[in-house]
Amino acid sequence: MNKFLMALAGNPNAGKTTLFNHLTGARQHVGNYPGITVDYKEGSLTLDNQHVIITDLPGTYSLTAYSEEEVVARDYLINQRPKVVINIIDASNLERNLYLTCQFLELGIPIVIALNMIDVAKDRGIKIKAEKLTELLGVPVIPIIARNGQGTDELMTAAMEVARENKPWIPTHISYGEDLDETILDLMAIIDEQNFLTESYPSRYTAIKYLEHDDLILSKGQDESKTTAQTIESQVTSVSDHTLKTTEVFPESIIADHRYGFIKSILRQGIVTHTFDQDRLHITDRIDKVLTNRFFGPVAMLLILFGLYQFTFTWSEIPVGWMENVFVFLGDTVRNNMAEGPLRSMLISGVIDGVGGVLGFVPLIMFMFLGISILEDSGYLARVAFMMDRIFRIFGLHGSSVMPFIISGGIAGGCAVPGVMATRTMRSPKERMATLLTVPFMNCGAKVPVLALLIGAFFSDHKASYMMFFTLLAWLVALISAKILRSTVLKGAPTPFVMELPPYRFPTAKGLAIHTWERTWQYIKKAGTVILAFSVVLWAMMTYPGLPEDEAANFEAQRQAIMSDIDAEKITQSSEDATAGEELSTASQELQDQLTTIDVIESEAALRHSLAGQIGTSLEPISQMAGFEWRTNIALMGGFAAKEVIVSTLGTAYSMGEIEADASQPLGDRLLESPHWNRVIAVSAMLFIMFYAPCFVTVICIAKEAGTWKWAYFSMAFNTVFAFILSVAVYQIGMFLGLG
Amino acid sequence: MTFNVFKKKYCCSSRSHNKSNTSTCPRKTSPLSEACHRGRVKICKVTGDRSHCARMAALGLYPGEEVELICPKQGGSQCLLKIHGSTLSLDHESMKNILIAAP
Repeated sequence: MNKFLMALAGNPNAGKTTLFNHLTGARQHVGNYPGITVDYKEGSLTLDNQHVIITDLPGTYSLTAYSEEEVVARDYLINQRPKVVINIIDASNLERNLYLTCQFLELGIPIVIALNMIDVAKDRGIKIKAEKLTELLGVPVIPIIARNGQGTDELMTAAMEVARENKPWIPTHISYGEDLDETILDLMAIIDEQNFLTESYPSRYTAIKYLEHDDLILSKGQDESKTTAQTIESQVTSVSDHTLKTTEVFPESIIADHRYGFIKSILRQGIVTHTFDQDRLHITDRIDKVLTNRFFGPVAMLLILFGLYQFTFTWSEIPVGWMENVFVFLGDTVRNNMAEGPLRSMLISGVIDGVGGVLGFVPLIMFMFLGISILEDSGYLARVAFMMDRIFRIFGLHGSSVMPFIISGGIAGGCAVPGVMATRTMRSPKERMATLLTVPFMNCGAKVPVLALLIGAFFSDHKASYMMFFTLLAWLVALISAKILRSTVLKGAPTPFVMELPPYRFPTAKGLAIHTWERTWQYIKKAGTVILAFSVVLWAMMTYPGLPEDEAANFEAQRQAIMSDIDAEKITQSSEDATAGEELSTASQELQDQLTTIDVIESEAALRHSLAGQIGTSLEPISQMAGFEWRTNIALMGGFAAKEVIVSTLGTAYSMGEIEADASQPLGDRLLESPHWNRVIAVSAMLFIMFYAPCFVTVICIAKEAGTWKWAYFSMAFNTVFAFILSVAVYQIGMFLGLG
Repeated sequence: MTFNVFKKKYCCSSRSHNKSNTSTCPRKTSPLSEACHRGRVKICKVTGDRSHCARMAALGLYPGEEVELICPKQGGSQCLLKIHGSTLSLDHESMKNILIAAP
């Protein structure tokens, strides 16, 4: 069966992903373009016996290299040469969306226009004559409603027809005024004569991009031929000087003006009619009057975020309990059906307690991601960014810093790795550096299970309130740190920021399901790979080298001594007297208690003697200042690998250090009953975990993004020292006040 | 920094290129950051970093265009404006660089 490539392109919020989800359903996967942060989604479907691979390109406003998304979209089109591009246009925002269409037409790529959200346009009193637009633009224009799939069959039929025609790319010519048109013709002559970049771009397109001062094309031109590039650049400089002198503008502004002029000239030919007054406020504007209001906006934002936590913790409580029971059952099953030995120990303490501790939180993570997807798909998350921009300015950050913070866990549940990488879209180097150094303070999805575990165990009456408090605290610490950085080592003036706010929409169930599952699956995959590997390694570190023979023999001798001292007849008689044989006699209970005590002491001695135990114990004199015992130290060391490992390591450490009967308890209960834990230590531990060194993947990302390991080391050292001072202060004050 | 270099870097866009500056913005102009009322305004000139101006032009913010302020300068830090049916959020720096007049 033949297969060919199709791409979905359009402005952000035009409905690309909704259409993509509708077309491909579950037959899709998320990827990452090599070397950059921008995600892409690829899906497949079969149409008329043709296997079609559809790529959902990042949302862009133009095809000039002003942002990474635009570079990605253009490079994909140039390098992959899809048979057809479905250009999705928001029918209620036609003029702005057609700006990108102009650039597809100038590139000459075969396109089909999907006129999306015609229902929204209709509600706003906008009528669009699609047939006439088809005629004037020379490409098929199909009205659709991506949310319910209306018109998508016609769209795909039109797309297949265009793809089958397999026509060469024919660029559309838009006039840019006398001066620029003349220059474009001159440049085209040079480009064609020298075959300059003609393998990739039409000559007219290259000429226009040179006039628009497209950094990437300029750089590619220098790589292709320095001489030709210099000739073209000198001509462009000459015309730029001329336009600056005569009209006080650079060519790119003239080009934008003429493109919009071209669009208006088409739309004015009876394409669009407005039934209602164009100035009237739409529902989105009315909602924004309240939700982005200077006073009500932040209050509403806090209430909504609190509602998210309430929803997450309340609704996930029961399924989290089920998951815990599943892993307790698995542990018991292995314990009852396998002979004692290293393999059983590894399966129970390494795999089941380790991975189970992380997987047990899957329902909570799923609910959290569902909540975030609702906020994202409804358009509210952009309003959060808008409102936070005001606050970010005070701390020397940027409006565009908001998204890396949110991605990293600003609304608990993100990940610092994509958060650090998302700073690439920021243009100001100092604000970018301050952002990438402070985003690891956010409560990522890996920290959430640790916080949930400790809050659930020690503050079970006010789980949502505590989670909200720790989230706000993470923001506060991150912002104060950013202010300190921007006032000292990263001093500099702020840079401008412009962002589009999408209209409010009801999220689709399918979209929410796909987005929630994608993120939850990433979490599950991590638990099944990285966390599993580290759990087994840490189990080995906590098991070997094991107790020396003489110490093991000493414990065995103690057991034998107890066994030889007892009166077997008395025990047997007492046992017979015990009710239905279900309860042990007093003498048997005493015997069991004595043996159990020896088991616990031996188990703890073995753990202390292990490699991890030795490291944890050696750190104890320092860590005790913050209330952490040696087993907590082991877990915190594991957290350098991945924060999820903290829960799994605590699970392993506290199951190995306890008697087997207790090991089947949920970890939270074990910590609650442990004499080494109390409420003050729990808060101290949570603060340390929130703010100490980022996991090693984040550290590598910081080094890569900052271009030097200096900032990565700074991040590890600064964060750990800060977190430790904070934890020590909380522990010492808390214990002094008797709050433990 | 010479005047030409300054102009090259910071003065990227005004309506005068099609000789319609005076007719488009006949009255006194003021920065968008000083606007303090809801309603329609006309963009007369956009200044600032070259690529930022180009990006704003791609979003439809270029001289001659009419925009609607729906949430002017929230405490002097940012504003919301509608253009071509979409809502844009601008920070104070961008607002300072956009000169407007009554339509």
